[in-house]
Amino acid sequence: MTAPAPLLSTVGVAKSYGPVVALRSADMSVRRGEIHALLGANGAGKSTLVKILAGVQTADAGEVNVDGRPVHFRTPADAITAGIATVFQDPALIPDLTVAQNLRLSRVDVSTLRQWLAWFDLDRLDLNALVRELPLDTLRLVDLARAAARDPHVLLLDEITAALSADQSERVFELLRRRKAEGKSAVLITHRLAEIMRICDQATILRDGRNAERPFGMAELTISNVNEHQLVEAMLGASLEPPTEQSPEVSGRGHALGDAALEVQELTSRLIVQNVSFSVRVGEIVGLVALEGQGQDRLFDLLSGRRKPTAGALLVNGRPARFNSPYDAVRQGVVLVPGDRLVALLPNQSVRHNLALPLFGRLQRWARIPATARPRVDDAIDQLAIDTRAASQVRRLSGGNQQKVVIGRWLVGGFRTLLCFDPTRGIDIQTKRDIYALLRKLASEGAAILLYTSELAEIPLVCDRVLVMHAGRIVDEQDAARATESSLLTAAHGLEMEAAT
Amino acid sequence: MTGAEHPFGAARMQPFGRRVRVRNGWMVGVWLLLGALLLWYSTLIPVFGPFQITSISKNSLPLVYLAIGQAIIVIAGGIDLSLGALLLLSNVIAARFMDGQPVGVVVVIAIALIAALALLNALTGYVITLSGVPDIVVTLATSYIWSGLALWILPSPGGGTAPEMRWLFTGSTSGIGGSSWPPILMMLIPCAVIAIWARRTRQGLTLYAVGSNKTAARLSGLDVRRAKIVSYAIGGGMAALAGLATVAITGTGDPRFSVGTNATLNSVAAVVLGGIALTGGIGNPFGVVATAVILVMLNPILIAMGVNSNNAQVIQGVLIAGVMMVGGLVALLRERAS
Repeated sequence: MTAPAPLLSTVGVAKSYGPVVALRSADMSVRRGEIHALLGANGAGKSTLVKILAGVQTADAGEVNVDGRPVHFRTPADAITAGIATVFQDPALIPDLTVAQNLRLSRVDVSTLRQWLAWFDLDRLDLNALVRELPLDTLRLVDLARAAARDPHVLLLDEITAALSADQSERVFELLRRRKAEGKSAVLITHRLAEIMRICDQATILRDGRNAERPFGMAELTISNVNEHQLVEAMLGASLEPPTEQSPEVSGRGHALGDAALEVQELTSRLIVQNVSFSVRVGEIVGLVALEGQGQDRLFDLLSGRRKPTAGALLVNGRPARFNSPYDAVRQGVVLVPGDRLVALLPNQSVRHNLALPLFGRLQRWARIPATARPRVDDAIDQLAIDTRAASQVRRLSGGNQQKVVIGRWLVGGFRTLLCFDPTRGIDIQTKRDIYALLRKLASEGAAILLYTSELAEIPLVCDRVLVMHAGRIVDEQDAARATESSLLTAAHGLEMEAAT
Repeated sequence: MTGAEHPFGAARMQPFGRRVRVRNGWMVGVWLLLGALLLWYSTLIPVFGPFQITSISKNSLPLVYLAIGQAIIVIAGGIDLSLGALLLLSNVIAARFMDGQPVGVVVVIAIALIAALALLNALTGYVITLSGVPDIVVTLATSYIWSGLALWILPSPGGGTAPEMRWLFTGSTSGIGGSSWPPILMMLIPCAVIAIWARRTRQGLTLYAVGSNKTAARLSGLDVRRAKIVSYAIGGGMAALAGLATVAITGTGDPRFSVGTNATLNSVAAVVLGGIALTGGIGNPFGVVATAVILVMLNPILIAMGVNSNNAQVIQGVLIAGVMMVGGLVALLRERAS
């Protein structure tokens, strides 16, 4: 039996960045008309493989074949010409040009492009708007529409649904199915296993830069033959129980709560945040749930001192507080873990330097970190199990390790109230669990935590209480232990529950 | 939840006129400032007529050309400290080889000179992309090379050019008085061509793209290296044009022209005042024309006001800083209002 050559295949692809081996040997094979999942924990080498396939990086060894012919991409333009279009996590659109100018630069057929824009309900998008004026979800869809309009053999999608709402994601899947019917393929990189189970045909799982062992020694990993737990096992390499009441991220819930560490009264910022009131008590993790663009970004800006409210009051430890800048907020113990890790980090500095950043305000003579504080940096590295192989430059760490550094910084600096904005976006399961466990531990040690998350499944697992935001207002509050994805989604859309619960 | 139903953040159609005003506000502002300064200057001096207009426009030419070239390079994410030295190089080559030649030869030399310096500076751009050494370092180095070459080609002031050449840039064959139309047209035509090219062609937009976000530009499949090289080529060509203008205005070549050394920094000042972000990717080169003329006019205005020429420099600096701060304030207020 002679099978037709796969549309896209890699054999033994390897890549090192200096001493750090990102990819040891990756084999992947994508057939015509197949939706392929590329899976792996953080640092397993997914991003590196995607960069090689997209022509951003060149491989040190191994070969890439498109349609049975070996290819060598030196620039992203080469990959596009060969029929591989990639949508990266950060949309590859120029912020200071208009949408129309961006599309003009990319030499795509305008009428096809308009079709795909209409497909995503973006036909009324103002093409003369500057890219930097548009929200992230719109940009990702424009980027995807542009990639689809190139009508590539293979569409590479890196965490495409991370910033999208449920029905936007649905449209994306429908697009993939349509292309599949035409014999075109896609490679999907995502941490959302439910999506993989629904839409993907085959999967490649990477672990430590290599192909992970397939369950039951299967010759290829067909999604319909496995379940989510088997995928997770293959990714982690060890059996992982689903979280139970005894697992660290959940245990410790229900302990006595202290006084309110942060109280918000009628907080308003023009029309974007309106009359928001709530409090976070010592020892409590309060979840915040909202669809994209409901004012949650602005609320976090207000709480962390990046913007001043137009009305309303903030109480920190029971005393009224006014933040003129994040400096004031940090001094009063209210610290932020922002949604974009790169905003918070000094990419070219070492892990230690980044962790010690909050101490720079209290440097001693000769700019030395106080001797008493130095063990705290080491403690933070141990406590968070940060992978320090690439410790000399934070930008070379994987996304999950970078996020740990951002959180670890406040362990070093000290805080009372922790504001976390979507800390687990685009992070693998193991690191997510580490972060949940850490948050719970911090809470039980006397921290108050406000956690915004785009992954609803996290809420019952991590939080004590959950607030739902819609159109700038807090519209609902639920007991996290009893909240379900559907109850949260219903509230997040601004709808009442049908039956009283 | 679809994009169109987003309560916040989704793109709402803005009225076209308002958008044009907001996006080009800075450019319109500096042209209005130039108009106001001209009006004021005309009341300061006893006689204001065609002679003054000719004088201002022709004396602005070198800096205008240099600033436009600098603007293109800055938009593409670079900065060129060698433009003033290239101006000198062009000036001495033109003065030495055009002296006493018939007009046909002079035109050939002029065109060849523009092409040669464009190529030379493209090479600088190529070296920058190849080596990864920052623009500011490489062009600082080349600026010494070009000024050294200029001294070597023409060790002492001298040379000249054809009367027709002088008429083209100054409006008179002797370089004194004359019609104001040739210098004004020589100012506006090349600048308009470059400004429109930058905003309306794919290659021009690529320069903006590369200056705005190099990574995103590369990921979109654009040729980042070529964009840088093209921007430096344009800068070199404009510096050559500026050198030709100085020969035409002064009638001689001089490798030690103070205009050459000051011109580099003045071109950067004009670019910044013209609303072009030094970080790249933002701004319209047409605004730079107005700010270059303003910078040239400031000195005679201050002298007409009776300001001591030593103090004039201080005032010039304060004015530049002041204008930039007002610009920053406007941007801040606009952001607050949104």
